[in-house]
Amino acid sequence: MNSKKILLVPLDPVHDIGIKLINKSLQEFGYTTKILPPDRRLEEVVKHVEAFEADVVMISRTLGYGVEELLSNLVDIFEATGIRNNIKLIIGGMAIKPELAHELGFDAGFGAGTKVEEVIDFLEGRSYKPLHKQGSKQKKDMTKGYDYVVRDREIKDMLDEITNKFLNWGKDKASPGTQRADYREKIFEAKTEKENSKLLKELYNSYINCCDVEIANWYSEKIRHPKTAEVNNEDLVSLREYILEIKEKYNPLSIQHEKDKPLIFIQYGTGCPVMDITHIKVAEDWGADGVVHFDPSWNSRTEGLLEGLLTHQDDGSLITPANLREIKSALNSETLWQIRAHRGLNTPETVVIAGQLGADLTKINIAYGSLAAGTDPERLAVDAIKAIELASKYNMSFDVVTNEELSGVPAFKAFSGMLVVAYTAILMDAKPILQPLFCYSPEMMLGGQMHNNYIDFNAAKIMALRSIINAPIWPGAPIGFLTHTEDRVQAATTTALHASLGSSLDVDGISTSSSDEAYSRGPITTASRVDTLKSTREALRFFGNCRIEPTEQAEHWRDELVDNIKETLYKVSRQENFVEAIYKGIIGSEEDGVYPGRFGQGTVKYK
Amino acid sequence: MFHSISKIVDGMDFETFIRAQNESEAKSIMINIIEKFGFKDIDIVFVEWKGSGARVRARAYIHRAGDNYAWLQNDKGA
Repeated sequence: MNSKKILLVPLDPVHDIGIKLINKSLQEFGYTTKILPPDRRLEEVVKHVEAFEADVVMISRTLGYGVEELLSNLVDIFEATGIRNNIKLIIGGMAIKPELAHELGFDAGFGAGTKVEEVIDFLEGRSYKPLHKQGSKQKKDMTKGYDYVVRDREIKDMLDEITNKFLNWGKDKASPGTQRADYREKIFEAKTEKENSKLLKELYNSYINCCDVEIANWYSEKIRHPKTAEVNNEDLVSLREYILEIKEKYNPLSIQHEKDKPLIFIQYGTGCPVMDITHIKVAEDWGADGVVHFDPSWNSRTEGLLEGLLTHQDDGSLITPANLREIKSALNSETLWQIRAHRGLNTPETVVIAGQLGADLTKINIAYGSLAAGTDPERLAVDAIKAIELASKYNMSFDVVTNEELSGVPAFKAFSGMLVVAYTAILMDAKPILQPLFCYSPEMMLGGQMHNNYIDFNAAKIMALRSIINAPIWPGAPIGFLTHTEDRVQAATTTALHASLGSSLDVDGISTSSSDEAYSRGPITTASRVDTLKSTREALRFFGNCRIEPTEQAEHWRDELVDNIKETLYKVSRQENFVEAIYKGIIGSEEDGVYPGRFGQGTVKYK
Repeated sequence: MFHSISKIVDGMDFETFIRAQNESEAKSIMINIIEKFGFKDIDIVFVEWKGSGARVRARAYIHRAGDNYAWLQNDKGA
């Protein structure tokens, strides 16, 4: 039993919940306490202090109006009656700022968010040291526990036929992209070995021969690409100091409430690695479990990747070994790191760089990259097979994104393409993660499936995939696509609600946007990142272990999706190979709004 | 003189993210910034600090309850 006697005085008319909670905690810590009813006159309070022989008087005040005058009167009357000298006088509540408490003559003031331990430490004359949670987060593997068994026999048989023909088609083919991946790996190896400048020079010469001229010029003539600039060295030194400083204080929030999943990812790609790192550190602090690197779209349409610490004037941050190395060095050890490789001419080389620099995840999908991102299907297919092989080698799992839905491809076609790529990966001992979209796609807009709610069709997607295969699911990218507006509150809310749906459906991860998702006239801000992470955290707290209940319509759409996927896969299986099916529009056609890409056309050759 | 700022119904919020060593420093920086804009009636509505910095929302009141509400003087120039 603690010898101190504490009188708790709620000065609000009715709001005394906070002080009741504090009272309970103080009693648990062994203090003798007495709590007065709310809204007593100050003269009455004085009498209670004297009668109780209080050592500490703890005032609570929630309402802000007139607070200064009221508290000032209280201090005056305590001084006039002489009891002020015999007690510690503390004030707490939503309306209280520590500065105000001291100004009015209180010994301490505790505002919103105060921990009981802070109050106890003050009462005992100790300085408050918050609990340090560093290391409490652990890096998670989204693929753990999944055996990739295809549950639907009919679909399995078709996937076997399609992927075997596809891998057979691709086995003797190569491209400038696959060649550069080989050279890049050898360059990494040569750089880690003792100086071998002759070998390096030969490797770079071979590499340059597989690049477009603006990339080759960087290596051979040091002619800077017009959209790039070198990172300011002074900024870099200061950034490194900043990172060291904040690593000492790392005490991240957890966004999940009672469940371990979904893991929360944010996407970065401000153009500048310095700003990217700053955004990553903020996101880590506010609870992000993983970060996704966004590269510029022009670079995915250019043969070859640059080197050096480079900034970029438009959206997206350049994939260079130096940029990624700098970002990796700033990441906390438990943060999952994804480098996207999915859509362009540098797919396998990106996987090499990501793997060499310790990324956890990458992103590969032939259908999206060749139908909605401009890359020739044949070229991307050859590059993707190589990229999957490399992802398996570097033990990186990868998501198979279905963003072609945003261009108008119906979900069942996008899922058919995703399943073919995922099954190809399974046959190659890689670990794919399915990435359906939680979105308000053109299919939904035209078909009206989301007229009543955003829940049923998104839920149906997850239910359909689960009925087909036992694989991890990571909706993206980002969740709520095409539901965001430029209004910050609306954007954060829609992300939080879609995150809650993901949590309710027990998905493994989700990619979130910032509340600037719909804003496109400049880079997103750190404040916008924090707001979405906070709203997501609050929504997951709200739903806790409860579930969102879709209507019966979700089951109907689940069955419809599965039937349509079967029909689509059957059509694909009737083609000579998967690539042919893409050219023919079977998994996304001109009528849907997508076209086979042309970048890299005619570059595939026999090994 | 009628200023555009008088069109603000009650208060103006300032939202940002600040690099700061702690919450207290973040508040001081924010108040200092807004004072430099010439505002007088300022409060920190919300601040949350983590190691990398602080998410801050500050407010400058233009019209509090009972003031002479200049925004009601419509069409008299701004």
